[in-house]
Amino acid sequence: MANQITFCFAVVFASVYLYATGQFAPMHLSDPLGPQAFPRLLGIGLLLTAVGLLVEVLRARKSRIAAAEGKTSGEGRYYAVVVGATIWTALYFAAFEWLGYAISTSIYLLAMMSYFRRGKWTSNGLTSVFYSFGSYLIFTRLLLVSLPAGLLPF
Amino acid sequence: METLNHILNGFAVALQPINLWYTLVGCFLGTVVGVLPGIGPAASIALLIPVTYGMNPASALIMLAGIYYGAKYGGSTTAILIRTPGETSSVMTCIEGYAMALKGRAGAALAVSAIGSFIAGTIGVIGLTLFAVPLASMAIEFGPAEFFTLMLFAMTAVASLTGSSLPKGLFSMFLGLMLGTVGIDLQSAYPRYTMGVIELQEGISFVVVAVGLFAVAEVLQGLEMLVRGTAPDVIRISGKLLLTREEWRRSIGPIWRGGVLGFVIGVIPGAGSTIASILSYNMEKSLSKHPEEFGEGAIEGVAGPEAANNSDTAGALVPLLTLGLPGGAVTAVMMGAFIMYGIQPGPQLFKDHPEVVWGLINSMYVGNIMLLILNLPLIGLFVRLLYIPRAMLYPLIVAIAAIGIYSVNGSVVDLYMLLFFGVAGYLFSKADIPITPLVLSLVLGDLLEQSFRQAMTLSDGALGIFFGSRITVILISLTALSLLWPLFASRIKALRG
Repeated sequence: MANQITFCFAVVFASVYLYATGQFAPMHLSDPLGPQAFPRLLGIGLLLTAVGLLVEVLRARKSRIAAAEGKTSGEGRYYAVVVGATIWTALYFAAFEWLGYAISTSIYLLAMMSYFRRGKWTSNGLTSVFYSFGSYLIFTRLLLVSLPAGLLPF
Repeated sequence: METLNHILNGFAVALQPINLWYTLVGCFLGTVVGVLPGIGPAASIALLIPVTYGMNPASALIMLAGIYYGAKYGGSTTAILIRTPGETSSVMTCIEGYAMALKGRAGAALAVSAIGSFIAGTIGVIGLTLFAVPLASMAIEFGPAEFFTLMLFAMTAVASLTGSSLPKGLFSMFLGLMLGTVGIDLQSAYPRYTMGVIELQEGISFVVVAVGLFAVAEVLQGLEMLVRGTAPDVIRISGKLLLTREEWRRSIGPIWRGGVLGFVIGVIPGAGSTIASILSYNMEKSLSKHPEEFGEGAIEGVAGPEAANNSDTAGALVPLLTLGLPGGAVTAVMMGAFIMYGIQPGPQLFKDHPEVVWGLINSMYVGNIMLLILNLPLIGLFVRLLYIPRAMLYPLIVAIAAIGIYSVNGSVVDLYMLLFFGVAGYLFSKADIPITPLVLSLVLGDLLEQSFRQAMTLSDGALGIFFGSRITVILISLTALSLLWPLFASRIKALRG
């Protein structure tokens, strides 16, 4: 299945890329090839690679039955956790400037640790808060790295 | 004579107190990231680049290189104690090192790993010192066509040798090159594939891509392992951290052979330290008078691969420093760091910035001594890191990555891209697509395109320029060979049964 998706992605991506390259305005001022020549080669190269991927897909068909036998049930639960962690990380980044680094990081860490390390409320809470505020002060005050203050007054 | 002066001057740079401090910091961080799961040297170096912007380039590069070779030392600790390679190059150490640990000889396995790494690391740096200048002098004659074919060879070799299938390697390589074309074209100032997003005009930051693909993707994989309950147990260090006379006698030959082999393999683009350690393991097994002991805790199976794995680091720096050609993920990130500090690796580096390049090379002699100290008497300290709950570690890595990425441009768009590439890296691992060709191509993409266009301008658009000299013909032949190699390899395998 992964090979088929990779093949489809390669074909679609190369086609879109080549289409976008074809929309470039012609420019021959300083360079006879222009900005589109090299990308065109890349698009064609990816399409040729897609042919190689297709060969792998066709070869893999033979061993599909064996692969299906090896599959275990309940895999979706593990992937759901990864999807959940990804969405939570996206929300963390969305709140990064608005809430500020220290507050958003505290909330992010606390939620992640609470889920993956259940029952250790004290150490999860202390680690989240001390790490977030400690690293905020170290980076902004000592290393002079710019991080968003957000709702914090400092 | 001039080179000798530069070398001596390089020692003066490397031995400055501030640079000794940065060597120590780099080696310490390298050992830590080597021991810790979830963040390898490529991601660590990429993350630290923004923090080192204001630093002297020599000091910054000395520290980043320390992370690179320090991680190789740390990687063996997890291989021996939890049968998980901290770095993929420690994969062979998992077999023999872990078997030794089960027999109560974890101390000896860690000791031979550290001593072997020290000796081989030093062999590698001597090789780097000896071969760097002659190779750079040769490469100074290279024109755009030679550079284009050289980079093409490096990229196809990496695409061919990393991962399980050539099409997947090439897929990764083309995606990297395509990502490299996003932004304003350097020759015509034409904005390409920016979709009106101002942040994309300067191109896609390789730091964002590298940290996303290496760190965030690793975190997502780690979280999946955590819920699957497949995290390994730690074996406590047992036995003295000293080798017996017999163990020393059995180890010294493999260390020397592994040191030389690792350096040679390191020079070849794409081969990498994992291949070096596997070759060393197989060589020691075939040379051993007791091959039946392999798999049961043969010390030669730790000494040789660990030596090869460490001297490979210095070998990999040879093409990077002399030709501007990274052969793997970490050297690609290192090259990105050089460029960010305004230094172009390549033949001119030894003429234009001798203090930087020789300071960096000579700091590695000092760094290897520091690592020996860190990894023998202080090994117990690093082992404590293995007890940090991974459920705490993984979210912390994301928070550290957010600091590193946000501090570059102060842009949340970069954070979204970080997550995007993290998810992409996770999906790549699920589809068994190697990420090293992508990162390497992203770093080399601009140079490859510029060389191609310069060569075509020189030849008035005739492709014959890429077959016009002996060097380009050899490099084109090597490129073709690297593309055909998987086919040959599978035929040979089939013939052998």
